[in-house]
Amino acid sequence: MRVAKARRFVVSDHPLPWLLPLVAILLVFTVYPLIYNIWLSFHEFVPRRRALEFVGTENWVQLWNDTRFWQSLVITFTYFAIALVFELVLGMAIALLLDSDGFGLGFLRGVLTMTLVIPPAIVGMMYLLMEDPQFGVISYLLQSIGLLNPNNPILATASTALAGVLVAEIWQWTPFMVLIFLAGLRALPPEPYEAAMIDGASSFQIFRRITLPMMSKVIAIAVLVRGIDLFRVFDYVFVMTSGGPGASTYSLSLYAWQQTFSFVKWGYGATLSLVTLVIILVIANLFIRIAKVRW
Amino acid sequence: MATVEYRNIAKNFGHVEVMKDVSFGIADREFVVLLGPSGCGKTTLLRMTAGLESVTNGDLLIGDRRVNDVHPRDRDIAMVFQNYALYPTMKVFDNIGFSLEVAKVPKAEIRKKVEWAAEILNLTPYLGRYPKELSGGQRQRVAMGRAMVRNAAVFLFDEPLSNLDAKLRTHMRVEIRQLHNRLGTTTIYVTHDQIEAMTMADKIVLMHAGRIMQIGTPDEVYERPNSKYVADFIGSPSMNFIAGAVETAGGSPHFVAEGVSIGLSPEIKAKPGQKVIMGVRPHDLGISDAGEIKGEVVLSETTGADVQIHLRVAGYDAVAVVPRDERRNAGAAINLSVLPGKVHLFDAATELRVA
Repeated sequence: MRVAKARRFVVSDHPLPWLLPLVAILLVFTVYPLIYNIWLSFHEFVPRRRALEFVGTENWVQLWNDTRFWQSLVITFTYFAIALVFELVLGMAIALLLDSDGFGLGFLRGVLTMTLVIPPAIVGMMYLLMEDPQFGVISYLLQSIGLLNPNNPILATASTALAGVLVAEIWQWTPFMVLIFLAGLRALPPEPYEAAMIDGASSFQIFRRITLPMMSKVIAIAVLVRGIDLFRVFDYVFVMTSGGPGASTYSLSLYAWQQTFSFVKWGYGATLSLVTLVIILVIANLFIRIAKVRW
Repeated sequence: MATVEYRNIAKNFGHVEVMKDVSFGIADREFVVLLGPSGCGKTTLLRMTAGLESVTNGDLLIGDRRVNDVHPRDRDIAMVFQNYALYPTMKVFDNIGFSLEVAKVPKAEIRKKVEWAAEILNLTPYLGRYPKELSGGQRQRVAMGRAMVRNAAVFLFDEPLSNLDAKLRTHMRVEIRQLHNRLGTTTIYVTHDQIEAMTMADKIVLMHAGRIMQIGTPDEVYERPNSKYVADFIGSPSMNFIAGAVETAGGSPHFVAEGVSIGLSPEIKAKPGQKVIMGVRPHDLGISDAGEIKGEVVLSETTGADVQIHLRVAGYDAVAVVPRDERRNAGAAINLSVLPGKVHLFDAATELRVA
């Protein structure tokens, strides 16, 4: 019988055979690299001997005294905070607009996913062109309304370069927020809204007292997923500014990449990425504790 | 305080007409129950009153104001939902006080009113809890509290007791009615439970398939149902029906069916020969040796104070409810008589009341 045949594949009640593939993958691709990374942070590659040498805590001491590290940390935090606020607010606003059955809204909801299928590096190239001081459309528009001095190209001016990169970031990832929020909004029960209307609440009061609290878990997840991603920002700055002008857009990931692959300081690069990981872990855990929602 | 009036109300969902030409009025301070089976349109009518459903046709008036196009928040109504519709993220205190909060009532006054409502509803110990930490009965009372603090012109109840167990339901029935006596707010109460309707209503509006079947006090609806449908719907166990005809025998009108002949009062409006359906409530059948209805007991069910006797009468099934000391065993022959004036006659074709 068909059923009996199919059942032969699930004879084992023991959990180990089921867990083994996943455990193996985790061991090879997560646990081993992590341990290797920690090990590496106490060593350094010595080019003339073509070998790794044990250096003790030298990398960590160097990190503590490295002003470029602290600078890139500040830049990463700034990027993280600005992008998150914009993506959250814009994402929620657009999700609220699209959360109805009006004509064409289904089409718009579909179109939104389009930015998400483009590789970030390509989006970076697009915005690099659009922000080009000679023929970029964004530069042209800003210059024509007098907001941009033609002598100060967006991405080549220290004060505006980060904003120039953020535009690409926000353009690509706001739709991600919209989709998560839309899914959340669509899953909300209708009854509290009816009750609130009858209780006399205005649209804004309903949003603030009913929608936002009921969406808090969804928002928390979105912040977490997006926040972790933002903290590792690499593609946009790599493609658009390479960290410049000066070091004004040097993110932590880019700095770690530079140390590891341009300067062949594997040990120091490992230390930098380890610090990035620790910061993300600490922030994420703090956030999960604080944002824990009760209902 | 306000009156409510429905003028030729119709409702379509898409191309489906679910309600047609519903007209009636509700007096100030009146407690009106919309009663009917599932799908009869009673909840739809209530939701139209609240403004949660649009009115397809006709006029809906609260007070003297036509409110067809008025937003729910501007209708001055309070509503208790079937599933309570509490705000899951707010504690009980904020749930009850939300309407006052959005109306920018001073905090001290909100506290006073919420505590007043909580006191009446025995919710004081639970003000700091979230809805999910409450039992069904407590949630139901929170929903009531939310309506109470409003000072609304009209209270709307949508089957508020249907999720409670039998004992709690009886208790809350009394509470709601006492609350109405105390506050005197015009109330529209939707239920499919005829006991709730009979015990609570000043006036019952019995609906079926989007139409009003009868409007009247509980006594009127029970004593003088205007159609076979109403007679069948109201009363438990249901009324016994036998199809037959009115004939004149010995100068006085009789209801005659196969094996059954029952004398009718002389004022009867039915014409001799008219085909009718006779209805008698189980409680209006009494055991007596001189009874004109002869039957055989099929089953006796003791329900407590009473015994329900299921019997066969000349090929018909019937039920009689008698005191428990008049219990009869299955198979026993039994003679029954109809209590004077308790015969209901409905025209066989129209099923409307004849007498």
